Amino acid sequence: MRKLSVSATLIALALLSTANAEEKMSMSDADKAMYAEMLENNPAAMDVAEGEEMFERLIGNEAYAKMLGVKEKDLPKYLSGFPRVVKSAGKVVTIAQTLQMAMADRGQSVPKLESNEIIKMSAYVKSLANGLKTSIDVKSDKQMKEMMALGQEVFEQRRGGRGLSCNSCHSADIIGQRLRMQPLPDLGVNKAAGTWPAYRMTQSQMVTLDKRFQQCMENALLAKIPLGSREMVGLEVYVTNKTKGNEIQIPGLKR
Amino acid sequence: MRIAIILGIATLLGAADLSSVIESPDATAILKKDALPAPKVFAMPQGCISEDPAVIARGKYIFHNLNGKDAKDPAPQGLVKILPDGKEKQFGNCVACHNIEGAKGYGNIGPDLTNYKGLFMESGARKHEFVYQKIADARVDNPTTHMTINLTNDLMNEREICDLASYIVLKK
Ligand code: HEC
Ligand code: HEC
Repeated sequence: MRKLSVSATLIALALLSTANAEEKMSMSDADKAMYAEMLENNPAAMDVAEGEEMFERLIGNEAYAKMLGVKEKDLPKYLSGFPRVVKSAGKVVTIAQTLQMAMADRGQSVPKLESNEIIKMSAYVKSLANGLKTSIDVKSDKQMKEMMALGQEVFEQRRGGRGLSCNSCHSADIIGQRLRMQPLPDLGVNKAAGTWPAYRMTQSQMVTLDKRFQQCMENALLAKIPLGSREMVGLEVYVTNKTKGNEIQIPGLKR
Repeated sequence: MRIAIILGIATLLGAADLSSVIESPDATAILKKDALPAPKVFAMPQGCISEDPAVIARGKYIFHNLNGKDAKDPAPQGLVKILPDGKEKQFGNCVACHNIEGAKGYGNIGPDLTNYKGLFMESGARKHEFVYQKIADARVDNPTTHMTINLTNDLMNEREICDLASYIVLKK
């Protein structure tokens, strides 16, 4: 938590203030203090702790590792490579989806991807890989290659009310420029894949990576694509690969 | 019956196929419906560019506001904040990417449009038709543009494109 990347910190610092245009790029002392406090004490740590409690009670490391077909001690390394093909799923899945599988495997009713259970447990499970680097392998097999291609297609497809794509705001040539007063983040430098689920200060809650995608869609008038869809998983594969090799630090802290 | 047996065997073997419990809704229809039509060339309507204060007021309002919910000032004559179906009207939010006279909190993804008349019109670098087409569908002259599309997808109507173009080319 404490090891937030410097660039992410700077961007967040620059954006905290809500005063007028010129002031907005700098930060008041009160905002700096609040940000420092949150770095020390990320409010989403509570969610992760609750996720741990639920995971231990409903699933447990042993059953989870067995369902995934890996040794318990190899779990962190394996988790750092998501989204990936899981045998018992027969396709590329996210960590959240493996938790649906694990719940079914344990004879429990399967919560929705939107549910608090899945969101909090997935944050906890991903945090098991904290300190490791994201190690997604988009060339591992045909299915991963397909999902990578699909993700890129969705990322670049212009659509919605204003005819924008993710790429309109996140392509390499405009990173660092400003949309209104917001510097456009470099998804790579911001460690996007390794730092979500994150606490979003503007929303006062923990948000998962796929929900973050949906928030960008909503802001830019793109129709929201549903959690768990092939297209959504593809986007996660594509964005995660953009930021491959970044350290995993769950929960992240974002503006 | 047969399914139950197969499931039973699968469970016995400890290799249950768990794929069916994964939430995986279909998004193809959503994306298809949301797709942007192909780039389109538009003819600028007669009398499009005007210095009528009512036109300029609308152009300015559309340029500087995101949508009816977000806009603070009352809408000028000829524009509404809330549409008949109860949804907020979407405006241009051009200031998200462009600076212009009096802009507050502008972005810089697009070129600075300050003193557009002096720099681009009077120099002969740009014509009214160019500005109209650029706002209507910027892909026609730049296929990889990052700019929003406003007419091809019916975000705005012809008159609103004229309001915006008139505001941009006006000496301010
Ligand atoms: C109109 C511009 C725009 C579009 C289109 C857009 N984004 Fe964003 N995105 C932003 C801005 C601005 C931020 C940073 C916001 C902030 O700091 O609060 C951001 C942040 C993000 C982040 C978080 C980065 C971090 O700090 O970890 C992700 C991930 C992301 N966008 C993905 C997407 C995806 C996927 C799409 C397409 C579905 C998309 N964006 C479309 C403007 C956009
Ligand atoms: C998401 C960013 C973005 C938004 C929003 C946006 N633009 Fe642009 N605009 C650009 C970029 C980038 C260019 C330069 C590349 C090009 O011409 O396609 C541009 C170019 C232009 C030009 C041409 C300037 C010249 O003479 O070369 C005009 C005029 C213009 N925009 C007007 C508008 C208006 C009016 C709106 C709102 C309806 C708007 N823009 C919204 C990004 C944007």
